[in-house]
Amino acid sequence: MRRFWLIVLVVLTVVSFAKVKIQFWHAMGGWRIEVIQNMVNDFMKLNPDIEVEVQYVGSYEEILAKLIAAVQAGTPPHVVQLNEISTQKMIDSGVIVPVQDLIDKDPTFDVGLFLPQVLNYYRVGGKLYSMPWNTSTPLLYYNKTMFKEVGLDPNNPPTTFSELIEACRKLVKKDEKGNIVRTGITWPLYAWFFEQYMALQNQPLVDNNNGRTAKATKVVFNNQAALNFLNLWNTLTKEGLMINTRRADWTAARQLFISQTVGMLISSTSDVALLMNESKKQGFELGTAFLPLPDCTQRGGVVVGGGSLWILKQKNQAEVDAAWKLVKYLAEPGPQIVWHQATGYYPIRIDAIQKLLVQGYYQENPHHLTAILQLLTSVQNYNTQGAIIGAFPEVRNAIETAVEKMLTGALTPKQALDEAERNANKAIKEYF
Amino acid sequence: MRRKIFPYLLLIPTYLVIVFFIYAPAFDALYNSFFRVSVFGRRKIFVGFQNYLSLFTDKDYLYAVNFTLVYTGVTVVVSIFLSFFLALLLDQKVPGSRIYRTLIFAPYAVSHAVAGALWGFLLNPVVGHVNYLMRIFFGIQTHWLTTTPYAAYSLIFASVWKTLPFNIIFYLAALQSIPTEVLEASIIDGASSWKRVWKIIFPLVSPITFYLVIMSIISATFQSFAIIDVMTKGGPGIYTTNLVYKLFLDGFRFQKIGLASAQNVILFIVMMVITIIYFSYGQRRVHYQ
Repeated sequence: MRRFWLIVLVVLTVVSFAKVKIQFWHAMGGWRIEVIQNMVNDFMKLNPDIEVEVQYVGSYEEILAKLIAAVQAGTPPHVVQLNEISTQKMIDSGVIVPVQDLIDKDPTFDVGLFLPQVLNYYRVGGKLYSMPWNTSTPLLYYNKTMFKEVGLDPNNPPTTFSELIEACRKLVKKDEKGNIVRTGITWPLYAWFFEQYMALQNQPLVDNNNGRTAKATKVVFNNQAALNFLNLWNTLTKEGLMINTRRADWTAARQLFISQTVGMLISSTSDVALLMNESKKQGFELGTAFLPLPDCTQRGGVVVGGGSLWILKQKNQAEVDAAWKLVKYLAEPGPQIVWHQATGYYPIRIDAIQKLLVQGYYQENPHHLTAILQLLTSVQNYNTQGAIIGAFPEVRNAIETAVEKMLTGALTPKQALDEAERNANKAIKEYF
Repeated sequence: MRRKIFPYLLLIPTYLVIVFFIYAPAFDALYNSFFRVSVFGRRKIFVGFQNYLSLFTDKDYLYAVNFTLVYTGVTVVVSIFLSFFLALLLDQKVPGSRIYRTLIFAPYAVSHAVAGALWGFLLNPVVGHVNYLMRIFFGIQTHWLTTTPYAAYSLIFASVWKTLPFNIIFYLAALQSIPTEVLEASIIDGASSWKRVWKIIFPLVSPITFYLVIMSIISATFQSFAIIDVMTKGGPGIYTTNLVYKLFLDGFRFQKIGLASAQNVILFIVMMVITIIYFSYGQRRVHYQ
């Protein structure tokens, strides 16, 4: 009998020390790897029975490819960060646990404190499938010092396309041989900006209310709104007022701005912290502003981009519970504020923003405020809620390929739109 | 009896590796190429030869075939002639040739991805050294990686740079194995050095040339992925998208497993043809002195 109790005791000690091990995959490189690791370390201190293995897996594209491989091998990770355009694909996948199901079961969690602009994007058919996490929109960054130098008003950044072109022309500097050594603007060659400019002009990207009321069957961007943006892009490039990067090369775009080769940059709000530091090091004053609009159009709004956290189905329910605890923790005000300050991604909760306002954070950091205001002043409707498409990566690829052809002079803006429409529709039809 | 079984027993490990890591995935790809597969592989529809048909009616795929031919052709021809020429120079008994030899082999130790990244830095329009020097000496600036036709030139240049050392090593070995009597005889007969190179040396190293052409074709066609991905991402537009990069895009970016498998099978067949040519034609012609 005594031996029996001894065994029971041993078993109990082992069980009580046994930790639930979960894996968390993310796609945030650079200094953010450490930020995330620290946040997770804090989580593990609060939950000593959970051990989280954090892994930086690579870009959003790589993380999706590796996730698919892991699921097929039968060893899915527990929590995965995926970009916003993977949403429909993951809903269709059948390998996830919708966070709505976990929210409904968990009375300690109040989703009402989240920014509706963010929830609207990730809610599909009234259901929240993933936890919004790193959220950003595009922003216009400009070099105030350079503006002063060429006689532009540093406190009056361009708000329309014609003002933008005018400002770019003034920023151009040539050397004695006539080479352009400094020019107006850059943004990464990325279809995200195209999508944003549709929403900014209050236009949908795909049919069925941006795929929100029924699955999208075709794109509806072949119109004047898209042409406005492509014409701008084309004009800026042809006149040498803009430098184009390789596809999705955010680093190159930032580099051009930091090295003061261009005076303006359109990039994600997630670059706010980095650009604040770098501009200080380079000795120029940074300005931020809302995205300029085509002349005489009414402002719609920006669509949130970035990523969200997905919980994968597991054989062991304890692991799903642990994953939910981690996801819940990362969405709490404390970690959200840390994340916001370290990167520039929005705090996704109203209470976190309130806390920062009261502390006077935004008086000292006006660029973070510009970013938030641009989102909060956005019109809320299907157009600014963002499109939901299963074949989103192909749609983006169709747009980017057509834009590149336009920039090399092979296509006119109208022809580029026709081609992008044709290829995007083909991809949507073939999605399976 | 025992003696007959024993050798086969020793071969089993090799066959296991080959079957599991080469034949099984190859057959899996062949099987999948007749299906439309959903993203996570949970739904499959049999479509027959539809994947192949849609590939050969796809303008972009045909473009990729075309680009692969041009890119491979130019890379191989330039690389072979340049390496032969450099090997001839390195074969001279000049002081310092050993150091130079070591330096010229260095690119071979660099992986394709790193080579691509290096050229990406060098050709960067803003902070790249190439443009810096071009501006100082010629007063011109080029966006090497984002405009046509410079994106293709940059790729070919980087690929040649990468394959050159391998070819030089082999040519050097071949040159050193040419008997000196032959060369001395030609000198006595009064052949000019130009004639000596093309009428005597080049024919004598032809088996090596043949081998290097095959290896360079394989390298430029099948191993170019990393360089393209790092340098141009197949752009601008689809300008530098070759067959391997197209396969990568369809398979890993867009998760069209069926379509990607079909492309895989096509590449497999191409590879097989090259190998058969090499084994049947090359074997017969190889003659070392």
